[in-house]
Amino acid sequence: MKPSSTATGTIIGLTLVFLIGPFIVIILAALTAGNNLAFPPDGLSLKWFIKVFTVESFRISFFISMFLAVFGTLTALIVGVPAAYAIARYDIPGAGAIQLAVSSPLIVPGIIVGLALLRYLVIPTGFTIMAALFLAHAALILPYAVRVVTSSLQNLRVDVEEAALILGCSRLGSFFRVVFPNIRGGILAAFILGFVTSFNQVPVSLFLSGPGVRTLPIDMLAYMETTYDPSVAALACLLAIMSVGIVFLAERFLGFSRYV
Amino acid sequence: MFENKTTGLLLVLPAAVFASVLFLLPVGILLSEGFAGSEGGFSLGAYVEFFSSELNNTVFWRSLRLGLWVMLTSAVIGYAAAFSIVQLSPKSRGRVFALIILPLMISPVARTYAWLVILGRTGLVNQVIVGLGLSEEGLQLLFTETAVFIGLLQLFLPLMIIALISSMENMPRDVVPAARVLGANWFSVFFRVILPLTREGLVVGGTLVFAGSITAYITPAILGGSKVLMLETLLYQRVTVANDYAAASVIAMILVVMSIVTNLLLKRLAKPRNRRA
Amino acid sequence: MKLGRYAAAAAIGALCAAPAMAADKTLTISVYAFAQDEFKELVYDPFEEICGCELVVETGNSVERMSKIEANKENPVIDMAVMSVHDALALSRKGLLQKIDTSKLSNYGDLFDIAKDPLGNGEAVGYTVYATSIVYRADKVDIQSWADLLDPELAGYVSLPDITTNQGPGTLWMIGKAIGDDDLSLEGPMKLVGEKADDIATFYLRSSQLAQLVQQEEVWAAPVGRFAWSRFRDNGLDMKWAEPEEGQFGDMNVMIMPAGIPAENAELALQFMDFWLSHDIQLALAEALIDSPVNDTVEVSAEAAEGLTVGADLINSLVFMDPGVILDNRDAWLETWNSTVVR
Repeated sequence: MKPSSTATGTIIGLTLVFLIGPFIVIILAALTAGNNLAFPPDGLSLKWFIKVFTVESFRISFFISMFLAVFGTLTALIVGVPAAYAIARYDIPGAGAIQLAVSSPLIVPGIIVGLALLRYLVIPTGFTIMAALFLAHAALILPYAVRVVTSSLQNLRVDVEEAALILGCSRLGSFFRVVFPNIRGGILAAFILGFVTSFNQVPVSLFLSGPGVRTLPIDMLAYMETTYDPSVAALACLLAIMSVGIVFLAERFLGFSRYV
Repeated sequence: MFENKTTGLLLVLPAAVFASVLFLLPVGILLSEGFAGSEGGFSLGAYVEFFSSELNNTVFWRSLRLGLWVMLTSAVIGYAAAFSIVQLSPKSRGRVFALIILPLMISPVARTYAWLVILGRTGLVNQVIVGLGLSEEGLQLLFTETAVFIGLLQLFLPLMIIALISSMENMPRDVVPAARVLGANWFSVFFRVILPLTREGLVVGGTLVFAGSITAYITPAILGGSKVLMLETLLYQRVTVANDYAAASVIAMILVVMSIVTNLLLKRLAKPRNRRA
Repeated sequence: MKLGRYAAAAAIGALCAAPAMAADKTLTISVYAFAQDEFKELVYDPFEEICGCELVVETGNSVERMSKIEANKENPVIDMAVMSVHDALALSRKGLLQKIDTSKLSNYGDLFDIAKDPLGNGEAVGYTVYATSIVYRADKVDIQSWADLLDPELAGYVSLPDITTNQGPGTLWMIGKAIGDDDLSLEGPMKLVGEKADDIATFYLRSSQLAQLVQQEEVWAAPVGRFAWSRFRDNGLDMKWAEPEEGQFGDMNVMIMPAGIPAENAELALQFMDFWLSHDIQLALAEALIDSPVNDTVEVSAEAAEGLTVGADLINSLVFMDPGVILDNRDAWLETWNSTVVR
């Protein structure tokens, strides 16, 4: 007595059209040969995709976003993996409070974080915008890093480690020889999740922009406000393809969706 | 579980310090600023002033209302979609699941931008409306609450579907067919079997969608504009246009409180074994 | 991947280095986001060549940039900025600007008188003057007066500038004049606009955003500065520049230098201003239909003149709003706007 497969198929189809359809529209709109964003496109051409690469501010902000995403995520992992290990393996006093502090970046809306860092870190201490962006992105990724790595540690049986300890490994040695290889997938998944989160992050970076320093999404918003040509659509497509590519590979090799 | 508490504390310390000094401290100062009186000391003046403005009230209620609507709608669509997806074979289920999470990986700027093209006066939706003869000329859809609603729904629906799928997968396999065999119609199957068994997922998804909707920036900025301000766009406007940090602090507090309340509700309503919180 | 390495190095450098760059001379400017590709080609690149320095450009609208200069007053990050006269006046009243040493500006003598000292205290120099009127689709409507913006014929197809933009107060003032209420409280016109709020597609924040809305046929008519006219004129639709019976209003953009910047940067900033005010650059910007010149020696081609605000006659016919009035009323306007228009 299952529901009819026509009905379920229709529901899934409509949902996917709603969720994915807009991207197809924007890809086609970006392929226009005309000068304006329109659907259906006015002839087909790749000129707007080529234009994207000639806009200098996109190139600069792309590298800034890349830098933030890669190093922000690495920093979050360096700080986060030990914390995750402690949460999964030790009975720490005040664990609840610590977990709350570490996961607070998830609760506080990004725009407030950006504003707070600008007002109370950048302005009074002379921190550069870039440094503030870097810290904000690392803090934002931290909860994801801790959560994903904790859950993959919880799936790893403690007795494997105990066995290593009994067999004479040091605690650190057992971490790197036994634990690390087993949670590598989780760490990689955390990295990808952190990377994508940071790369697409808007609200945190909204107030944190300064002369010559702007993340790519903010630069796209600014560009859209000044020049409404289809190159932003083309750039959006390129970024979407990049994200989808990363996720596809991650899913292929890691079963990424287990970790999200 | 290891016993040595000091080692544990040392391991967790960097993360805790990092989060509290760089994160909680500045945010805390910002929030406390809303309680400072004009001559120092504690005062609720900023709050009184904020809520005495008609515009601010409108924006506050609009944000709440849109958040709830997006949450309810995504629950309705989410149940239908999640239930359908769970019926699929494991292989195609994985594929559909990947397609559902795919939008989450794409820049929200790109996701919102697409709606500009679709909802515009000469956009896809209006082409259909005019084509079907429902209206002589295109309707104004951009810069309306409807546009913001649609944008937010597309942005957050995947979170609801994922949450519901994971709790439906935990549902005993035979309960729905059993209820059907025993003569229950789909309506009572849903309310008496599926809903109670997936409450956790609904709560998790619902809070994520609600909190996401009220704290979204790009969607209301692009699709709503200055006529359909939401809390975040109002905050941005107060700071950049008027240097009004008191109002910014009040809005920040509202947003943080809403996020915390929804999170607490979530923890209370859902059982702790669900890790997605 | 040379560029990649360079950008990564720059990013790391920005992260570690103190705000003062040890490397070459750097001039940081803050300008309108409009036409940056052209500015880079016509102004920034040639200037970098001449000064042997690096130009860092920040963009945003006038009021956003003004707030930023105020926020960073202890530690100025901008050496030179351009903004509206009233935003400059706001900074000046807070003591955040410094006097511009006009003896260092070789082109100063060639400027129109109105551009020489718009604030009256030597803290700003005008670099462009422009008219604001209404662009409209001639195939859809006919605009003879500012009041026509609120005509039922345009319901749903008109956009007005937000009160916080440079064009906002002027627009309301002109609408006020059209309905016989030119009181500077702007309450009359705001009440009217508030009643018609549902007929207004959106209150735009940037003229470039408006260009797209007109292109998408979302909007048929809107007040806009002349500097943006070329973007409408050439969009393939039947666009016209209105000459309303109440007249067009004028506005000026000025250059300023924040107080407290290092002397070396101030030197560079003056050099850059002088360059921007020179005959060649003013002409080049005019011919590219970007900014109308304030340098009297510039003679633009007839073709370019069509897209700009040039000629003593036109400039003299413009209605200017006193920047002091704008500033004194700004908070009250925003409040009235919030309570009567956007609600």
